[in-house]
Amino acid sequence: MQRGRGSLRIVIGVVFLAVGATAVIAHHSFAVFDHSQTVTVTGTVTRFQWTNPHGFLEVDYRAADGATKHFTIELTSINMLSRAGWTSRSVKAGEMVKAMVAPLLSGEPGGLLLEMTLGDGRKLVSPVPAPTTFTRTPEKELR
Amino acid sequence: MTAAGWVVAAAVLAGAAGFAASVDAQSAAGRGASVVPDITGAWERVGPGALAGGQGTDVRTPPPVPAPPLKMAYLGEWRARQQAAREATAKGQPIGINWVNCLPDGMPGMMQGPFPMEILQTRDQVTVMQESFTQVRRILLNRPQKKNDEVDPSFYGHSVGRWNGDTLVVETVGIKEDVRYQNVPHSSAMRITERIRLAQPNVLWDEITIEDPETLEKPWTFTFAYRRMPDYTLLEYICEDNREYIDEKGLQRMRLGAPAPAR
Repeated sequence: MQRGRGSLRIVIGVVFLAVGATAVIAHHSFAVFDHSQTVTVTGTVTRFQWTNPHGFLEVDYRAADGATKHFTIELTSINMLSRAGWTSRSVKAGEMVKAMVAPLLSGEPGGLLLEMTLGDGRKLVSPVPAPTTFTRTPEKELR
Repeated sequence: MTAAGWVVAAAVLAGAAGFAASVDAQSAAGRGASVVPDITGAWERVGPGALAGGQGTDVRTPPPVPAPPLKMAYLGEWRARQQAAREATAKGQPIGINWVNCLPDGMPGMMQGPFPMEILQTRDQVTVMQESFTQVRRILLNRPQKKNDEVDPSFYGHSVGRWNGDTLVVETVGIKEDVRYQNVPHSSAMRITERIRLAQPNVLWDEITIEDPETLEKPWTFTFAYRRMPDYTLLEYICEDNREYIDEKGLQRMRLGAPAPAR
């Protein structure tokens, strides 16, 4: 039992170290995003912004009351996106996307992209640092 | 004097003047490397615990950076600051750092990556370019170092280097006092010494030693390891639309986009 606990402690320690090491590889801290849940945003891309320090996807979606609402999706640095196979043409304005994001903790309409599916079925994964630290919860559509 | 005599005399003079160089060459020969290694190209930092050479190799990376051996007068404040930063991050309200304002790392932070870096060796200079924030430092070869009060403080300082056998030994002074690696305070007397060498043909090590008689109890030494990226060309990095900002409480925030105009 004692031995088991020790091993667990070591595992936790290693995970913590790994997180600490990767946390510094972003332009800024990703701590502003909720690591405990994901939400799904399905809507139309109004702009795919290929810039540093981060890329952005601006998305309009239909809220439950029928109104069009806006959500800002932050990507990583475009250099990281390039190395992960993305290009400035990966997504176009007007395309439908279904995006899984870690929402802003502040409650503002924004989040960090983890992955998304495009209208033609293509799936794009965002190369966020320490991706396993984001808990993916059952699909919950933003309405 | 005959032509042969001149050659002998020149050789003797060169030998006397270049004593240090010849010692370097001998020590290099002793380690089996008589020529300056080729470190030109793109490199990617590999973190502690990884296999630096990739699959099929067994080159372990150096241990993580140890805590700085700060003097007591500075240690308490540094620890408190690190603790405050950790707590703020845990609350989802991180304290803004340089990068949030699109400021580069400077030295020695730029050597930690995170993005690939390119090294370009020329006769009189070794140039290091870090992809993130398009950071560039110039290491002037075989030139005298300046005194601290001769250098204007800057992000990368004044670096001079020489090849000591297979190792590029670099000394840097003149880092701005507000350019801090891991929030560690330093004075204008800080001196950074690097020993850059190939641990394996495709694995580069940079052993960094920081000395500062004002703030450090003893030298602070750590090593970064990198793997060669033979097919990689550095990309540009311009901080073009920085939506992150630090609010009046010192916390990091993000500006959101606006809805598209009605169609």
